Amino acid sequence: MNSFLRTIPFTWKNLVRRPLRTGLTVAGIAVATFLFSFVESMRDGVSKATEAGAAETRLVVYRKNRFCPFASQLPQSYQRSILNIEGVKSAVPIKIVVNNCRASLDVVTFRGVPDEGYMQEHIAQAQLRSGSISDWQSRGDAVLIGAALADRRRLRAGDRFDAAGVRSWVAGVFDSDDAQDRNVAYAHLGFLQETAQRGGTGGIVTQFNVEVDDPSKMEAVAAAIDEAFAHDQYPTTTRPESAFVARAARDVIVLVRFASIVGWASLAAVFALIANAIALAVRDRIRDHAILQTLGWTGADIAWMVVMEASMLGATGGAIGAIGAHAAIALTHLNFTMEGVSIEVTASNAATIAGVLLATLLGAVAGVVPALSAARREIVQGFRTT
Amino acid sequence: MSTIECRNLRKDYRRGEEVIHTLQDVDIDIHGGSFVALMGPSGSGKTTLLNLLAGIDRPTGGTITIGGRDIGTLGRNALAAWRSANVGYIFQLYNLVPVLTAYENVEMPLLLHTLSSKERHQRVTEALELVGLADRYSHYPRQLSGGQEQRVAIARAIVTRPTMILADEPTGDLDRTSAMQVMDLLVRLNKERNQTIVMVTHDPSTAARAGRTVHLEKGKIIDAAEFNQATRTATIGAHQ
Repeated sequence: MNSFLRTIPFTWKNLVRRPLRTGLTVAGIAVATFLFSFVESMRDGVSKATEAGAAETRLVVYRKNRFCPFASQLPQSYQRSILNIEGVKSAVPIKIVVNNCRASLDVVTFRGVPDEGYMQEHIAQAQLRSGSISDWQSRGDAVLIGAALADRRRLRAGDRFDAAGVRSWVAGVFDSDDAQDRNVAYAHLGFLQETAQRGGTGGIVTQFNVEVDDPSKMEAVAAAIDEAFAHDQYPTTTRPESAFVARAARDVIVLVRFASIVGWASLAAVFALIANAIALAVRDRIRDHAILQTLGWTGADIAWMVVMEASMLGATGGAIGAIGAHAAIALTHLNFTMEGVSIEVTASNAATIAGVLLATLLGAVAGVVPALSAARREIVQGFRTT
Repeated sequence: MSTIECRNLRKDYRRGEEVIHTLQDVDIDIHGGSFVALMGPSGSGKTTLLNLLAGIDRPTGGTITIGGRDIGTLGRNALAAWRSANVGYIFQLYNLVPVLTAYENVEMPLLLHTLSSKERHQRVTEALELVGLADRYSHYPRQLSGGQEQRVAIARAIVTRPTMILADEPTGDLDRTSAMQVMDLLVRLNKERNQTIVMVTHDPSTAARAGRTVHLEKGKIIDAAEFNQATRTATIGAHQ
């Protein structure tokens, strides 16, 4: 039996037959890795929502110097002017109503979109989980809601839905790859304009989503749109959608960056915890190691055992923590919404795997110094020390 | 059968500036298959000599040749392999690994040998039967009496069928009955298996069970008459 394999059973017994010590150490590692994996998943969600892709073609036209859907009011008639600008493929007026403009974990966002065409085109890329688009078209108060919002609010097709002063009927639930879509309720533009303005003016929208025919024209088109309305009563600010999300989510981004530091600090805690547990274990087992060496085990065997024990502690705690974080995120459907923009915390496989691997690696590294000291100790000194 | 030859064997320890000469120019021959008791007062160098013979300590000077091989020239790993093949060591305080059962403790040295799990099981069972503890294989050390622990330690020492068994006061921590059982076992191993046994003891009646007694005094081997004189002097000194 080679040196590596023959140490495994003894190492395993050392762990499972000291359940209190092992349990406490593993629990500490699990909590720290949970924190790390959770924060990494949050960071992943922010990155996905705010990083611009090379093929990004969507611009968001918003009211200049306004940061909340309540305050951004643009005439729907701007649509015609925008469509006349060179490079614009389409311009969709959207009315947004939220029940809370600040960053919150349970914001309901309504997007009012034109009745004809938009949803058919939009949902074609997504998968309708229940209900139908024709049901949506047939009722004025109908909404099609994203899967994440439906799961969070436990809504199904046919339910009535009341939020932000809008009383609506759920015509269907759809899945989408886009985090913004998964967390909104699509309503008819006219219905939302009337309801949100309490019977006031129609013709006012929150923003325009503009599709550009060539990604290289994004900057020029944005500048042209803002220039067109610069001297109007309602000047605009036009940004690529990812930049728009990043600006809206700036507070969350700062928060997540800070949390990320806490996440990495928790990994340092994993290292300290394992190093401490292993150093104490090695000190307690000086005699055991001397006995094994007397029986013919080599210093290298002893070192392997120590490193392996530290790695096993790291791997076990890391797996519990990372998988726990994955499950917690998957079950809670966490979603930050601010100014009508959603950032979803999705269970990230990369963060889970990174959590397990890093905890295992840190375990191994934390075991190296105690392992070397155990391997180098003279046998007779080992018997005298204890 | 391995003959043990020690020539000009020295072992010094440093304590700060002071050098302690634990063994001084020890010459000793121990024939294969013999049963030798090492006697002497505390600090006379008995355990140091035993540790040197076991290859768990290195001499400061001199040579130890066992079975024609100078073990002082072996590197750490080679020495570990040599110990695994040739030495069975019995400690005064048993030194069983507390998280392992009696069976697993006895099995530990065999994991270093190329044996199938069936052969290992056979050897462990045989060793535990020999020491009369076949029914205690699943017990942890804390669940055994001192005598039983020592018998498990003996099973661990003999399970690899080593050429020599080195015992450091194997009865020192046992009651009279358990001590007799352990000594009966060692004598039996020496006679039936012809294994070389070197045993450190303080007890003359235990030493009497060995075929030969070697006396140590202040790191040197002395003859029996000198030893008796030294013991008498020490006893009178203690009474005064």
